[in-house]
Amino acid sequence: MPRLLATQSHVVHGYVGNKAATFPLQCLGWDVDCCNSVQFSNHTGYGLDKVFGTITNETDLKELLSGLFDNFPQDYQALLSGYLPNKNSVRCMGRFCAKFKEKNPEIIWLMDPVMGDEGQLYVSEDVIPEYRKLALSPKQLVDIITPNQFELEILYGEEIKTKDHLKKALEILHNTIPVIIVTSCDSKMFDDQDYIYCVASMKNKTPIVYRVPFIDSYFTGVGDLFSALLLDRVYKILSNPITTLKFEDQVNNVLNVIQKVLNLTRSYTSGKINAKMGSALEMKEMELRIVESRDIYETINVNENDYIYTRL
Amino acid sequence: MTSTLHRTKKVLSIQSHVIHGYVGNKAATFPLQYRGWDVDVLNTVQFSNHPGYAHFTGFKCSTEELVEIVEKGLIGALGIKYDAVLTGYFPNVQALQKMAGIVGQMCDEDENVQWVLDPVLGDNGRLYVDEKCVAVYRDILQSSKIFLATPNQFEMELLVGMPVRTLEDTKRAFELFHERYPRVTRVVVTSLELSEFSNDNVYVVAGFDSSLGDEVFFYKIPKINATFSGSGDLITAMLTDSLLNDHGRTQQPLSTSLGQALWLVTSILQKTYDLNVANQGPHDSAISIKDLKLIQSRDILKQDPVPSMGKPDTINI
Repeated sequence: MPRLLATQSHVVHGYVGNKAATFPLQCLGWDVDCCNSVQFSNHTGYGLDKVFGTITNETDLKELLSGLFDNFPQDYQALLSGYLPNKNSVRCMGRFCAKFKEKNPEIIWLMDPVMGDEGQLYVSEDVIPEYRKLALSPKQLVDIITPNQFELEILYGEEIKTKDHLKKALEILHNTIPVIIVTSCDSKMFDDQDYIYCVASMKNKTPIVYRVPFIDSYFTGVGDLFSALLLDRVYKILSNPITTLKFEDQVNNVLNVIQKVLNLTRSYTSGKINAKMGSALEMKEMELRIVESRDIYETINVNENDYIYTRL
Repeated sequence: MTSTLHRTKKVLSIQSHVIHGYVGNKAATFPLQYRGWDVDVLNTVQFSNHPGYAHFTGFKCSTEELVEIVEKGLIGALGIKYDAVLTGYFPNVQALQKMAGIVGQMCDEDENVQWVLDPVLGDNGRLYVDEKCVAVYRDILQSSKIFLATPNQFEMELLVGMPVRTLEDTKRAFELFHERYPRVTRVVVTSLELSEFSNDNVYVVAGFDSSLGDEVFFYKIPKINATFSGSGDLITAMLTDSLLNDHGRTQQPLSTSLGQALWLVTSILQKTYDLNVANQGPHDSAISIKDLKLIQSRDILKQDPVPSMGKPDTINI
């Protein structure tokens, strides 16, 4: 039975970070060990004055991860890291993930380098070099990254404006990272801007561009769910050299699952869709329906829609 | 499709968190979620693993943090309406007192909120919290409206102040419990070793619902040759589900709910045992199983309707 260690945020109410990742992965058969980098009442979309709780300080985080490393050095088949609140927590997570990886080279590590979106950083600037160090490490520590375009540009070090430029950036980053999935690309690079574009790229293979109908990115936590499902689907390929599963199908499958979860979520929230970010009473109706989607995650071989658009 | 969507039941679960393994919130959350609950998970501590392992690391959350998250966040800013609040392990007397005050008030202000209280004090004759917590739990049980309390044998003994070793004791203990704590509607003692059954290789799970008269009922459960960390936390969670997750059904009696919760829990324990023995091989003396195989028990948790353990035995008080 596969077991993974997930290091990211915890919210008491709602579904982002570990709360968005854990249940779907458990439904898929993973034992998920959740190391919580914060405990907040709810996510920050409710308004910053409406978030209560604390950040797990660096000493505590280090203690927790070293306790796990000492007791269970060889228990994990995968590592997942997502939102971490500051430089120290990214560095600490990185150090321990690297230790696990050194002890068990076959571990698959998916790192979501959560830094910001659409030109806006939402972590402190000193987090950037920490993620760059991990992503660009010559030791090839990380197996899969799931940046959005903004985060990809930060890791790559340049703004990306064309498809050719994107292809170049992926090639360079593949020097240290085998699998890169850009969860949302600037639609200006493509013909029809009414879609969301996602690029999945495996080292030495042609990157695949997917496009999905534009659903307003209203629901917080979609990226965390996306990373969790990708880890499950891509793990099944990377951990099995004789698999018949195809990378492009696995990513397409994840996109199908996400669409289904969003549709189900929308069916619960119809009529309230115009709730304002920051209006806490309304926001709480806008959480992803992670639990209600229980039977959707397992739809392993169902690719209802082919979202593949083109190749780079 | 929209018309068939039922409202998802919401529970606030306030318990310990371990990263590796399944006790406290880790034992309660996944089974409740898998059975359809929207679980708000408030962790009172974060440990690498439970203390049943020789070594563990981690920290306790401050009382201020817990209070603020619930009072200012969940109630104040978000105004969440819960169907149930489940409380378990608190790291110190102050956190227990403060949080019990808040939960008590939530239940007083909204009669739809049901408090399921696991008075976590210790097990097998050994306290694992500050001694002062015993008196605090007695106060809480005396003064608060509680939907269900789930002590184990040792905790029941501490709460009623008498040993519980026979069926006669059990009857008397429930009587005393009800006299002392009349605002507690239901009580289930989750694991009783009784002398009458010492040769039958069974343990007893007994319950009493004061709203339904004065009958104590009990189930005799065949023992598995092992001890399981987290099984009490799992029982409390599954009882919460079978009592309150009334998809279109009217609330069923405690004895029926307990029969279903026990079916789920004993099936999961058996599966956990089988998977462990498959790894470890046969054994004579009881093995200590540190981690429930909850994820591998999805097919059990998926059962709907849940089968029952059958009819319980009864004693009149």
